[in-house]
Amino acid sequence: MDRLYIVCVDDQREVLNALADDLEILNAHVEVEICESASEAKTLIEEIDANGDLLAVVISDQVMPGTSGVDFLTQLKEDGRFPKTLKILLTGLATHEDTIQAINEAGLDQYIEKPWSQEDLVIKIKKLLTLYVLRSGLDYQSFIQVLDQTTLYEGLRART
Amino acid sequence: MNQGTKIAIGLGLPALILVIPTDIFPLEGITVVEQRVVSIFLLAALFWILEPIPIYATSLLIIFLELVMVSNKGLNVLIKDENMGTLLSYKDIMYTFASPIIILFLGGFFLAMAATKFRLDQNLARVLLRPFGTNPRWVMLGLMLITAVFSMFMSNTATTAMMLSILTPVLASFRDGDPGKLAFTLAIPVAANVGGIGTPIGTPPNAVALKYLTGDYMVSFGEWMGFAVPFVVILLLIGWFVLMSFYKIATPAIQLEVKGSFLKNRKAYIVYVTFILTILLWLTDFIHGMNAYIVAMIPVAVFSSFGIITRQDLKNISWDVLWLVSGGIALGYALDSSGLASRLINAIPFASLSPIIVVLAVSLVAALMANFMSNTATANLLLPLIAVLGTSISSLSDIGGGMMVILCTTIACSMGMALPISTPPNALAFGTGLLTTKDMARPGILIAVIGLLLTYGLMIIMNAIGFF
Repeated sequence: MDRLYIVCVDDQREVLNALADDLEILNAHVEVEICESASEAKTLIEEIDANGDLLAVVISDQVMPGTSGVDFLTQLKEDGRFPKTLKILLTGLATHEDTIQAINEAGLDQYIEKPWSQEDLVIKIKKLLTLYVLRSGLDYQSFIQVLDQTTLYEGLRART
Repeated sequence: MNQGTKIAIGLGLPALILVIPTDIFPLEGITVVEQRVVSIFLLAALFWILEPIPIYATSLLIIFLELVMVSNKGLNVLIKDENMGTLLSYKDIMYTFASPIIILFLGGFFLAMAATKFRLDQNLARVLLRPFGTNPRWVMLGLMLITAVFSMFMSNTATTAMMLSILTPVLASFRDGDPGKLAFTLAIPVAANVGGIGTPIGTPPNAVALKYLTGDYMVSFGEWMGFAVPFVVILLLIGWFVLMSFYKIATPAIQLEVKGSFLKNRKAYIVYVTFILTILLWLTDFIHGMNAYIVAMIPVAVFSSFGIITRQDLKNISWDVLWLVSGGIALGYALDSSGLASRLINAIPFASLSPIIVVLAVSLVAALMANFMSNTATANLLLPLIAVLGTSISSLSDIGGGMMVILCTTIACSMGMALPISTPPNALAFGTGLLTTKDMARPGILIAVIGLLLTYGLMIIMNAIGFF
């Protein structure tokens, strides 16, 4: 079966490790990958796409050497290959302008402020994963353990 | 077992059937076409049981294989032999995609979609729940009755999704560790599964049954509801008792809150009127002469014309469900038209079987299979065989004949509800994370067993009043 990916991008190793730890409970159903820069993430995303796997969620920091988070997410949106992928900006340092740009240009789906709580992070990720599964028409039953029930009900109600 | 093994078994065994020379095949006089139908049937069974590919894909595969291997316009090298038996009409095979049964379901889908889109379902739930007050026992009964009624006209999955979304916020107000949470969470899928029995469009196995309920066996929409609705009500009440005795509710009072108010705009009124009109017409075919299939076109035509169901909404139609049923119809058609069905009737000494044991056996097999695989796929596989059985065992006629076995098996297909994998409603309830497989299976098995006994009771009563 095609694998679902969550890609986390942050220049700080500790942050990435903390993210990976927090998202470990999803591991049975989705692959959580960590990248230290936007360029590393781009290479990984190319790989995921080439393998025919699915990029479900991208979580990115804003302030990073090289490409900033918002620019990276904007590029991802403009890429056109990942219209269903959901994007999260995870930051403590985004300016007002960054945030506006992220929403308007990158089509941001969630904004999470550092420091985050695991509970809140997992709930948000589950919601986005559910949206991804529903939008992609994947078999929700095989992912049901990592889906947000309320979001799933909303999606299923609209179907016959 | 991995996907590769499943596919190897699913293709390998049917291929073996194909290469057996017809003269040593253990069914005398079998033609090449009939032998291929046996092979396709086996492939369908293996694929639906092992599920190496989605179940609707298996249906499409069946139709494709029938077209290529046994239709009159199939691949020429496969069908050039003149003494190979009766080839099937390719048009009749393709026609299963638009069979009246499929249109009936499509009509049901249009009704359900419009009801959801214009929040009729949610508003009805709000109004109907009110009289049940705040006593958890009564609220649970209310939830079950409403779920059952909705699942008679909407898909069991969509109904469960809606009712669980109403229930979830309330579960948080339960006392910690209250087993009542389990009772409530299970009440929804039980009611949705049982409620599906209530109408011909309630659940896809009923649709599959309609293929075999024609001619002498004809059952109208109203007649179906006439026997099925009382059955559903009784089984629901039993289910309610069972769940409450398994999981005692400790919370003294609960408050279900459904937000919203009835929409009052032109389109919403059209939805309300069409909904009521369609159901009334379904029930009164003896007055106006239009059968259920034709009435089903009313919501399709009206909602499309008034822009109530838009092009975008069409994408939400579960084509997979429709095509799953089509595959079942195509399988039954091939069995029948190739002559295999009548050959089986003549070749196998069904007549010597005790009719009661036959009915008990097939309904048990159906319920058991449906617990482990899709209820619809179970019906797809069993009903064509049951239809053959029903016409060939003459001693069955004393206890209701072919029609009785078909109805009994169809209802038994809806008794597959003990495990999280049994039905999508069960999977959704399990997905709440509030219960274990055992929590679900214990009451589930009991309700299914009682349901089967009740089905036999229903059949005896229907036979006694001369329904069959």
